[in-house]
Amino acid sequence: MKSNFLKLVLPAFAILLAVGLAFATEESNLPYVGYIATQSGYAEIQTDCPNLGEGYCYEGLDQVFNDSGLTDPKRTWD
Amino acid sequence: MSHKGIYSKLITLFSLLLTILFVYTAVSKLMHLDTFQLRVERMPYIASYATVISWAVPFLELVIAGLLWFTRYRILALYASLVLLGSFTIYILIVLKYSESIPCSCGGVISALGWRDHILLNIFFMVLALLGILWSKKQYNIQTNQNTVQ
Repeated sequence: MKSNFLKLVLPAFAILLAVGLAFATEESNLPYVGYIATQSGYAEIQTDCPNLGEGYCYEGLDQVFNDSGLTDPKRTWD
Repeated sequence: MSHKGIYSKLITLFSLLLTILFVYTAVSKLMHLDTFQLRVERMPYIASYATVISWAVPFLELVIAGLLWFTRYRILALYASLVLLGSFTIYILIVLKYSESIPCSCGGVISALGWRDHILLNIFFMVLALLGILWSKKQYNIQTNQNTVQ
């Protein structure tokens, strides 16, 4: 009886917890806004760099910045 | 408490943790499938399979999470967990070693981790899956021996 109860409750608990966590952290799963230099000035792009860590963030060959003035480099993990 | 009891509880705990990991990552991917597909398209070596991968990976994760709770398929699910986590870890290691283009993040809250921490997290869950396989087999052998003796 106890075993059957746990066999049903434990997976249900795990699934509910995981789904809840996925919705709770939904925002961190979305790409971040960044800016790259273009010939006409700058362009807004979507990037995965979390602006954490020590390395500089690149999209292809373009360095990504936090601001449209291209003064604050976006960071990522090395 | 007998060793058999401890092993059984630990296998259940490992299944619980793997289920949370797989359901969390699968739901995170499925909520923003287009974003996940775009991320895969930017990854080296596997970009041309982006559409298939973006559907297959969350589907596989959910199937494995479900199979972990059927005693009959638990060992199979633990093997599948090990292979899935192992493939991803090997892919990350190859990309970090040989490719100039390193993908920026991994999705979900896990994206806050660096590559080193992400690999450590994968290895931790791979160890859980491996121990689960070994102890499940041990339990299965004990049960088979007991049935033979009876």
